[in-house]
Amino acid sequence: MYKALIACRAGVGSSLMLKIKTEQVIKEESFPIEIEHASLDAVSSFSGDLLITLTDVKAELESKGLAKPIIGISSITNKEEIKTKIQAFLDEQKG
Amino acid sequence: MLSQLISQDAIQLDIEAVNWIDAIRKSAVPLLKSNKITNHYVERVIEIAKETGPYIVVAKKIALPHAPSDAGALESSMSITVLNQAVEFGHESNDPVKYLFFLSATDSTSHLEALAALVELLDDEVFLRLLDKSKSSEEVYRYIQNKERS
Repeated sequence: MYKALIACRAGVGSSLMLKIKTEQVIKEESFPIEIEHASLDAVSSFSGDLLITLTDVKAELESKGLAKPIIGISSITNKEEIKTKIQAFLDEQKG
Repeated sequence: MLSQLISQDAIQLDIEAVNWIDAIRKSAVPLLKSNKITNHYVERVIEIAKETGPYIVVAKKIALPHAPSDAGALESSMSITVLNQAVEFGHESNDPVKYLFFLSATDSTSHLEALAALVELLDDEVFLRLLDKSKSSEEVYRYIQNKERS
């Protein structure tokens, strides 16, 4: 089981909606992933495997040089995008 | 419930905006009038977007302006604004923005159920088409209520 953190700046709006949608996808696809949710402040202390956020937040996190894989989602209503990107992460882990 | 977070007079149709900042300010008006947010909250939304990019553009044509609770969210609430002309927010794939869902939340959990309903609405082609063609905020509000019942 992998641990993923969904983060956004405010922690009250877009990331919550992204969390809802991502949880739906994980359930439908039976992906081995557990989701946590927090604001960006929590990212540096997160000990899990994966960060999921919106595309422009991803760019900011990458510029900080985080060592973890980061998935950036451009549309919170697009389940297909969420599914494809998580699947790619899982495939990579299997190596 | 989403229909409790939104009131009928917080649904604004056929609104003109000259740019993204103007669009955000106009979408905040119903929540300012009903004392759900402070002026400072609106300014924070704009500041954060300037500092960090258009993270509030969460899906194609859709912006969800919001800021952290402590920026001046007095009550959890939401307005819906439909622009007569879409405006550029500078988002790489979701521009231009036609629909704004301005959100205030006093914490990160109490409005979770309403947000789940909103996610479904944003994915609902019939709803977005209704926003485009409707002249009546009552009609839009009723659609949201009916969707909750179904």
